Amino acid sequence: MSIWRLGEQQPPAPRKITDDVVMRFEHVYEVEPGKMERFPQQDIPAWDTMRIVDSRWEHLDWMHQHFADEVLSTGLASETGFGGGPAES
Amino acid sequence: MSVATRAPFDSEVVTELRAIIGDDQRVLPNISSRVNRTRVPAPFPVHRWADFVPDVAVLPTTAEEVSEVVKLANRLRIPVVPRAGGTGLADGAVPLRGGIVVDVKLMNQIKEIDLTDRTVTVGTGINMLKLNEELKRYGVIYPDNPASYPCSIVGGRIGTGGWSLLGARYGHTRDLVMSMELVLPTGEIIEVGDGGGRKLRKSSTGFMLKQLFMGHQGTLGIATEATLELVPRPECEFSAFFAFDDYMKAYGTAGAIARSGLATLAGVVLFDEWKVRYLRRDDEAYIEQPADVVSVVAVALYGTRAEVEPASRRVMELGRSEGGRYLGDEISQGDWASRHDRYATPLHGRRRDGQVVPMCWHCEDAALPYSALPKVREEWHALVARYIERYDIFDDWGMFAYTNGAYKPWGDYLVEIDVGIWEQELNDDNWAAWVNLKREIAEVSLAHGGSITACHGATREGDAELVPTELGSAWQVVKAIKRTLDPNNIMNPGKQMLDEAYAEEVRT
Repeated sequence: MSIWRLGEQQPPAPRKITDDVVMRFEHVYEVEPGKMERFPQQDIPAWDTMRIVDSRWEHLDWMHQHFADEVLSTGLASETGFGGGPAES
Repeated sequence: MSVATRAPFDSEVVTELRAIIGDDQRVLPNISSRVNRTRVPAPFPVHRWADFVPDVAVLPTTAEEVSEVVKLANRLRIPVVPRAGGTGLADGAVPLRGGIVVDVKLMNQIKEIDLTDRTVTVGTGINMLKLNEELKRYGVIYPDNPASYPCSIVGGRIGTGGWSLLGARYGHTRDLVMSMELVLPTGEIIEVGDGGGRKLRKSSTGFMLKQLFMGHQGTLGIATEATLELVPRPECEFSAFFAFDDYMKAYGTAGAIARSGLATLAGVVLFDEWKVRYLRRDDEAYIEQPADVVSVVAVALYGTRAEVEPASRRVMELGRSEGGRYLGDEISQGDWASRHDRYATPLHGRRRDGQVVPMCWHCEDAALPYSALPKVREEWHALVARYIERYDIFDDWGMFAYTNGAYKPWGDYLVEIDVGIWEQELNDDNWAAWVNLKREIAEVSLAHGGSITACHGATREGDAELVPTELGSAWQVVKAIKRTLDPNNIMNPGKQMLDEAYAEEVRT
């Protein structure tokens, strides 16, 4: 039973991606709950998941700026068919 | 799990330390200060935590204070263990016999920025990220860049002889530290560099003592000040990741890029099949990659835009020359940025049945010739698989190979196999299994003409006992140096088999 009152911040239902992985938000992957029976994952409100995701992107941007003035891009998307498009930086 | 410690340290020693330091807040005999300076991120025998708790921690602010602490330790025959960030992946900072932990974190001042001779002089307690935040305004950078960049400290980089992610372009710690002040195990304060100059990059006067005091794992003294190389802050960064359907194609491509002669090449990283499998399981960048992505090569360039732009085109050609497929800007840039900070990775692993459990990260490193990588990879994974089958507290997280040579990245590689360990399940039998696995991994490295460690250090059981084997005929010289500089074996005793230097005279 959750100690959280998730209310409107209840995350969407998970969608199976692989036998090991589910996805509730686009490109945010979580371990398949059936693989976390011994150490169950805690409930996380939607805003908190998005905060963590946004923080990671901020952190990576900060790292780029820390080491160089400019990040050179190719303007190319992934040639494997998955991996996002060209970066904005 | 409860944590117990030995009986309280002799209060007379604490009184003497307080007289030396002159500030009770910097002499810490309390339990939390000591327990927090016991382990490092490397797997740790948590069921025997109390065996490794130091007796007191001190936080000196000057070389003179360090010197007096070390002299006291010699007089009373008390072990001294230097500690910086405590982020090492071997046991350099773990007290094996209690004693005094000398924590250098308060010696963190920037003492001089010399933009004419291109150096910065710092206390060894400073963190590289914080240093570079200050240096940015001057258009320079100190490019020592480990995976622990946000949390490791210059003094620890000196003690472990660190490897840098940007080493192929800018050099590693031993190339970037120009000179240092250090306190010898007997308490004398000396300066070492190239010859006698503090800001010289090349001299032929006397012996090259600087390298003797680099990577000794705290067994030959405590660095208190360092003069560091400054390089122009890069105008431009370029990173590219290529996916392969076959490890040998990736291996060939990594070698071709490393041999390209591109001056801006900062590093090439080769991910093997086990690493990609692990990332596909637990890393958002790889989960949805197609099944024929089995191995990855990452490349990074730094320099002026005039250099990096044409070099990037050559990298794109070479990366695709054996069937590599570019993984796109988003993965290339995001994944590369995350390499500067691997310690932020949440750590869990899987048991044989796939169940997730919290695991500690062990990164077993070696320096290996390029020619040995494919075979070592097979032998290492076979070893780990054998132990997983028997114990079910380990998880194989795959291997990386990074270009290893400073400025000359083509010949040998820093190779790491990441192994998850379920620390909560450790007991004497499981710990012994882990130690045996470490030893077998290290033996493979030696059998293939490698070194048992490229940058972490060989400090603890499982690999320390192989140090004499690896050093061979030079081991006698190493022991003679240790005994000469540290006649009472007080400086980080028990590490790297250096107790052998004292034979029966070893004090325990």
